[in-house]
Amino acid sequence: MKIPFSWLKKHVALAANPDQIADDLVRLGHEVEGVETPRAAVKGVRVGLIESKTAHPDADKLSLLKVNIGEAEPLDIVCGAANMGEGDKVPVATIGTALPGGLKIKKGKIRGEVSCGMCCSEVELGLAEDSDGLLILPADAPVGAEVGEYLELEEAVFDLSITPNRGDCMNVRGIARDLAADAGLPLVEISMADFAVDDAVAVPNVSVSAGADCPVYLARSIQGVNVTDSPDWMQASLIMAGMRPVNGIVDVLNYIMLDLGQPMHAFDADRLTGDIVIRSAMQHEGFAALDGRELKLHAGDLVVSDDASVIALAGIMGSGATGVTGTTTNIVLESAFFRPARVSETRRIYAMVSEASMRFERGVDPAMVGIAMQRATAMIVELFGGKAGDIRQCGDADAINAGRTVDCSVSAIATRLGVDIPPSADDVLARMGFDVKRYGDQLDVTVPSFRHDVSIPEDLSEEYARIIGFDAIPAVLPPLAVTRPARQDRSVHDAVSGGFLQVVTYAFVSADEQRLFVADDGMDIVLENPISDAMSVMRRSPWPGLLNIARYNLNRQQPGVALVEQGRIYARADAGQHNETNTLAWLMVGQAQPDTWYAPARQADFFDLKGAVEAWLSLRGLTGRFIADDAIQGLQAGQSARILVGRTEVGRIGRVDSEIATGFDMDVPVFVAEINLDVLPSGKKAKFASLPEFPGVERDLVFLFDKHTSSDAILNAVKSSAGKFLTNVRVFDLYEGKGVPEGKVSLGIRFTLQDAKRTLTQEDADAASASIIAAMEKRFGASLRG
Amino acid sequence: MSEIDALKLQLESLQSEALAAFSAADSLNDLQALRVSYLGKKGALTEVLKGVGKLPPEDRPVIGKFVNQTKQALAAALDATEAELAVKAKSARIESEKVDVSLPGRSGPKGALHPVQQGLDELTAIFVQMGFDVAEGPEIEDEFHNFDALNIPPEHPARAMHDTFFIKDMRNADGTEPMLLRTHTSPVQIRAMKRFLAEGGEPPLAVVAPGRVYRCDYDVTHSPMFHQVEVFKVDHDVSLSHLKGVLQYFLSAYFEKDVAIRLRPHYFPFTEPSAEVDIGCVFCAGKGCRICKGSGWIEVLGSGMIHPNVLKSVGIDAGEFSGFAFGLGVERMVMLKQGIPDLRLFFENDVRFLSRMGVAK
Repeated sequence: MKIPFSWLKKHVALAANPDQIADDLVRLGHEVEGVETPRAAVKGVRVGLIESKTAHPDADKLSLLKVNIGEAEPLDIVCGAANMGEGDKVPVATIGTALPGGLKIKKGKIRGEVSCGMCCSEVELGLAEDSDGLLILPADAPVGAEVGEYLELEEAVFDLSITPNRGDCMNVRGIARDLAADAGLPLVEISMADFAVDDAVAVPNVSVSAGADCPVYLARSIQGVNVTDSPDWMQASLIMAGMRPVNGIVDVLNYIMLDLGQPMHAFDADRLTGDIVIRSAMQHEGFAALDGRELKLHAGDLVVSDDASVIALAGIMGSGATGVTGTTTNIVLESAFFRPARVSETRRIYAMVSEASMRFERGVDPAMVGIAMQRATAMIVELFGGKAGDIRQCGDADAINAGRTVDCSVSAIATRLGVDIPPSADDVLARMGFDVKRYGDQLDVTVPSFRHDVSIPEDLSEEYARIIGFDAIPAVLPPLAVTRPARQDRSVHDAVSGGFLQVVTYAFVSADEQRLFVADDGMDIVLENPISDAMSVMRRSPWPGLLNIARYNLNRQQPGVALVEQGRIYARADAGQHNETNTLAWLMVGQAQPDTWYAPARQADFFDLKGAVEAWLSLRGLTGRFIADDAIQGLQAGQSARILVGRTEVGRIGRVDSEIATGFDMDVPVFVAEINLDVLPSGKKAKFASLPEFPGVERDLVFLFDKHTSSDAILNAVKSSAGKFLTNVRVFDLYEGKGVPEGKVSLGIRFTLQDAKRTLTQEDADAASASIIAAMEKRFGASLRG
Repeated sequence: MSEIDALKLQLESLQSEALAAFSAADSLNDLQALRVSYLGKKGALTEVLKGVGKLPPEDRPVIGKFVNQTKQALAAALDATEAELAVKAKSARIESEKVDVSLPGRSGPKGALHPVQQGLDELTAIFVQMGFDVAEGPEIEDEFHNFDALNIPPEHPARAMHDTFFIKDMRNADGTEPMLLRTHTSPVQIRAMKRFLAEGGEPPLAVVAPGRVYRCDYDVTHSPMFHQVEVFKVDHDVSLSHLKGVLQYFLSAYFEKDVAIRLRPHYFPFTEPSAEVDIGCVFCAGKGCRICKGSGWIEVLGSGMIHPNVLKSVGIDAGEFSGFAFGLGVERMVMLKQGIPDLRLFFENDVRFLSRMGVAK
């Protein structure tokens, strides 16, 4: 909300400058988003009294003036204007003054006569586009005073962000009230021009059938108005406050709303049919709003209607057909209190926001309903003529929000704030409109009708905090509780230490991306109001997000990336439930190792990623088994596997299907993996076992196996056949090609035997070898290689 | 010439010949060969010794002594030369093994934690150190936990300001309301308090809840997904002054210097009183710059004393207990600490950005 400084000063005689006021507003809880200065004060222009005026000896059109600006000697000024005479008071720009147009006043001679300043017109002061002579100031203007201060030329507009609880501050008077209370200044009485009520003007027929939503409704007819533009000062004020002038009647009502906070509406009486009723809408009843929209209303919406149609969505917007135009002569004014929740709900249904609805849904001041009606009537009659009839009133404003009290203890508030509540704070609260009584520790506070936000002691504590000032509240560390800390989740940290860059991607993907790795089984979680189709479905696989990031980086000349992400995946579960599963996911593509002085570049393959996953598992004391699975959606058969820890399937790994990779602009192999962190068993903390004292025996055996024999199966067979001394076995060589028959691979196995009680002999090793050889032959038909 | 003189002469010439040969040797192998050829079993000296038998017995000790002297002289010369050659050989080896130590070391690819992760880790650690427990909650929430229990009833204007993502065709437990993506981490307050009470807990309760949150807002300064950390404490006599103390401590700890803080009265439905918290601008030290729009202050988070309705919603006696709560945006904190100018960088995940920002201090 925009509030001009000059408008504020109509309600309270503020002495501080706009910068200080801005600071005060922030301290009081009204965020100042900016201070615009449409007009700065002119400094150095002073009120001068023309003591004598004589003709210039060498120029017909120039005069020689002696001007008293309150100093010992009057100034000699040569002036070209004609509209001034002795005894007039005029603005005098003194030597050194910079005028708004850029002119800087210097001492000089004009046609041989000395001139020590310049008398100014409105144009030179930046107050008007043209003028026909000097600005003649009122006779009581104090000689020597700064004209800028005297005329209050300085203007600033505060752009405030009013919090939703402070509907009472969505108007100039509300803000002025806070500032006045804070500064200890009185609030100026609301001025009200007199007008006569003409009994000949019929009182509108109004009835309210939805009293709960409309506890008070005032209506009045004014006949014979001549709708012209509103006065310049009002238009200027409205524009500074961010509103567009429309016509005289609408401008007055907007002005009243900005000034006092009461939204009002005017109907063109000649376009109404019969009586006015405030009622609930009928289901599917039509309404043609002022903004051109045709609404189908819902039962329960609060409307103002006449005998023919809905003429307003109460508190939100009037109809296009019954609005006031330049040709309107008879009007019906409306001033009412509509229930905030009603206005809020209806406003949200139709996504319709107006200045009126913003105020009604935050709660207007019931006490202002009648005052605003009187003030608006007075202004309309004064500016546009017409005869005002009496008010038709339905309901009672006094009954709304009246006499609410908060009882609490001073010490409870002091404890909540951590600071004493001095009695002087009560005075400020009283100036804010509260009725405050203190009896020892007991505090009885009656809340003013405009403060819908104060009803419990905690609300009062906020008022006291604002009054005392948050800066005055000491910073104290509370007693700290010491609890047993939970073990930190190191999942992503360990993956990063393995050489992967952590990424963070959005939790939503496109439906098409979802389908790449997850079948359409109806378990997707879809957003009702997504940002775009590309971000419309909650991800069930972390891989599309990673593929997008890989593409982004490969498109920026990266030769390869190794990425990891920790985050949730989301899917529907039975019985309307859903699951959020913590997942760690990897992606590798392109160069795993760049060209270096010690090694040539190497492209990532399956075993780079598998190694990373194995290393990650081993950091948590776990060993994974990788079970080949050719049926994992989106992964290439023959290069994909399920990952098991014990009997639990904890994840998947593999090469992304080449067509999918191409879809992400990658024509090189892409490898991905994921681990479900929620099902991953927690690894066991290692238990100590004594280290072997006796040396082990190491042996190598090389066999010819059929191609595609699982090395996992081979090693398992070794483990079960090598006997009790086996401590370690691994594949140390893998070869196919020259010297190895077609369809076969040469696989070298290195195993270690060791015993805790003695040094093993060659015979022990020979026995184990023989047993392994036999097992390989029996199990795989493998033969020992030459 | 007597036999003995002849032998002596022979030994002398052998010695001088040998010494010349030793000093000419340029490798330990050559020297070893010379040692064998002069001092070995079939060496030159042994040959000379064979002639001793022909001498008269009285001359034998004389010549024996002479031979021994020669042998010792040669052995000493050999040892000396050997030492010399060993030094030379080592120098030569060192020279030949010299490397360019400025070449880069062998290493694999370097990983890095995402800056948001670093922020989450740092922020969480500060509160854990202060005795707060870590809690998490679901990202797909119901309206009760995201709004109602936090004192934001359906018609409340603040509800509209949250730009909520709703889930299609998914309702809450009793089927009355649509499910949504949580708009803040505050619902974890409700869940953590309920769980705590259900497990028979009694305040004090102090919790830090990091997590992802969602708002239907996407432009230069808004991301539809971002991260928050929610912090709250409930106990007897918790005061606004305690909130200020914790804020002062934590903000100084996070920014690793004493930062000025300013609380401004504000409005949040779930706290009363509420305050927005500013820190003295970390870029211009409060002098006023482009980042703080000349004010010298930067808004960092929202805070307040937990509204009694929030405590009531979980069954905590608001007359007996009070609490403070605040929530902060992780991306914003990281941007301020590390001078990152644009929120979008976090979600573009350009590996050049990630590698650079991943460098630990």
